[in-house]
Amino acid sequence: MKIIFRLALLAVVVAAGVWLWIVIFPGPEKIIRQRLAEIARLASFKADENPLAALGGAQKLAGFCSPDLQVKLAAPVNVEHTFESRQEIVQSVLAARSTFGGTLKVEFVDVLVTLAPDKQSAEADLTARMQSSGSKELNVQEIKFTLKKVDGQWLVTRVETVRTFS
Amino acid sequence: MLFGKNPKATLIRIAVLVTVCWVVFSFVLLPIRVTGISMLPTYPNQSLNLVNRLAYFWHEPQRGDVVSIRLTGLHGLFMKRIIGLPGETVAFVNGRVLINGKILDEPYEKLSCDWNSPPVTLAADEYYFVGDNRSMPQEDHAQGVKKRIYIVGKVLL
Repeated sequence: MKIIFRLALLAVVVAAGVWLWIVIFPGPEKIIRQRLAEIARLASFKADENPLAALGGAQKLAGFCSPDLQVKLAAPVNVEHTFESRQEIVQSVLAARSTFGGTLKVEFVDVLVTLAPDKQSAEADLTARMQSSGSKELNVQEIKFTLKKVDGQWLVTRVETVRTFS
Repeated sequence: MLFGKNPKATLIRIAVLVTVCWVVFSFVLLPIRVTGISMLPTYPNQSLNLVNRLAYFWHEPQRGDVVSIRLTGLHGLFMKRIIGLPGETVAFVNGRVLINGKILDEPYEKLSCDWNSPPVTLAADEYYFVGDNRSMPQEDHAQGVKKRIYIVGKVLL
């Protein structure tokens, strides 16, 4: 009985150790998922948001992106653009918020991360769920993110919408 | 008192009920809420429904079936009607669907439509999906070709 108890205790300690290791040293896939969740949070905004908070959010969002970020968004936005600096990304984010006007809640679900063999770049296919104020309709869009590891940080280098139907 | 005269049996019943519900609503009948107007008038916005995930276990999807189509997972689904089957050529001419050049009879189609699109020939594992509300602008209506593997199941009600 004593041996069984000790073995069970050992198993619990090993499991706790593995869990702690994963929490302290997350793998690249988990880091990318966390980063994308943070991007979704930063892409959401409220209509009455403080301008300073909006600026802070836009700067943080731009910090998650490569300065030469490529964006290719299909209808209804129809945007295809390559940025030249993070400042330009910040300005675009603030302009988009101001043009939109209302509240927007963005959520990324069903995130599929594919790491390159060298683990220095990755692609993330996900479904974005977007709910805007004044609309009961939930917009759903497939998006592909391309990320690159730069100085230990996973930065978004390309964002493009994916056509669900061909 | 809450668990009756035989608490052990009640707890077992609760556990069985919870397990059965979890299995049924996770793997057999997927609860969905319709958001959007693309399936009007058949399925109104915000209506609730169920997707039978076993519907195509024994046979392949049929023309006219309303199905659920997954995107990157099951947390965002499209609800559409199948109008084109593998190997067929689908086109829209003045709002009418042509399958292999012949007009498709669509009794469920109640709203006026003026869509036009060139013929598309489907591969062996492809279907053509479209919503019932074709009174909306064609460019705002998600429709087109998708592979069989993306069909989650048949809409039940």
